Amino acid sequence: MEQREIILKIKENFSKSEVKVFDEKQFSVFADKDDIVRILSFMQMIGFQQLAIISAVDWIDEKKFELVYNLFSYTHIQQVLVKTKIERDNPKIQSVMNLWEVAQMYERDVHEFFGIEFSGNDDMRPLILHNWKDKPPMRKDFDSLKYSNEIYGTFKKSEEV
Amino acid sequence: MLLTSTNEIKDNGMERILNFFRKKSLWMLHYCTGCGAVELPPTMTSRWDMERFGMGPMATPRQADLLLITGYLSVKSLKRVIYTYEQMQEPKWVIAFGSCPINGGIYYDSYSVINRLALYMPVDLSIEGCMPRPEAIIDGFTKLMKAIEKGEAVGYKKYRENYEWYKANQRNVLERTSAVLKEEA
Repeated sequence: MEQREIILKIKENFSKSEVKVFDEKQFSVFADKDDIVRILSFMQMIGFQQLAIISAVDWIDEKKFELVYNLFSYTHIQQVLVKTKIERDNPKIQSVMNLWEVAQMYERDVHEFFGIEFSGNDDMRPLILHNWKDKPPMRKDFDSLKYSNEIYGTFKKSEEV
Repeated sequence: MLLTSTNEIKDNGMERILNFFRKKSLWMLHYCTGCGAVELPPTMTSRWDMERFGMGPMATPRQADLLLITGYLSVKSLKRVIYTYEQMQEPKWVIAFGSCPINGGIYYDSYSVINRLALYMPVDLSIEGCMPRPEAIIDGFTKLMKAIEKGEAVGYKKYRENYEWYKANQRNVLERTSAVLKEEA
């Protein structure tokens, strides 16, 4: 399928979604929060086999988290970013583990660095950070420099160690 | 603060004679963190040829004398580095590469990279540069050999003497029980 046909199909089924084309191999779809699982399963059905990564963006002024699902199709040689926005306070979204098993790890990663809950994905043990007690570090209101100075100390020339 | 300073635990007498032989046969541990690891293959192999100083790579910490911290050290690998260091047999020496183990380098504001290695384990020598060239590394190695001969490179003794101080610092990072930054109400 050409990119044009794929976009037409998406528009037919999800009239509310916004499509933005970057070039002949890449485009993005912005969908509503409640539609996200339906649109992702639709994308999988029309040939987007691979979920490459799940990423998140912190739009702190809007008080929103944007979730980005990066999909790739080996049949159409197309890359698509499926995006959605959720509330920043008490962020929660449906898990897509049923569609792609690999989503388990990606969701765990996003949960660790942004604190977003995924309902349906129960295994949220810490993955990368060691003994983390503070707020998730990739949130925009986390002061990394202050944290670093507080726990790892600043360089003092006079002191012998 | 540290209980004993380097001057009080310098090597004397018989140790100095042993040190003369020790400095001629240093085995460095194959343990790499950060970006300095890429500088080691040219240092080891024919271009700069580390072996002319009597140094060689060793695969296990129990038979190595030299631990190289080659660049930035995240909290997760700090734990492994401490395990490795404590497994090594004395006498043992630590060399820190580049600016990251001294003051954090470009990771000065990172939430997962430590700023000063000297708080968690004794560093005998720091080589400046980001990253140091093989010439600088060789220069550092010869400086360490001179320090060993003079009996000044006694980091392992310092670690033994001030064990509680180092352990407290390590625990502060690795086994924290509460959040570091206070939540604003």
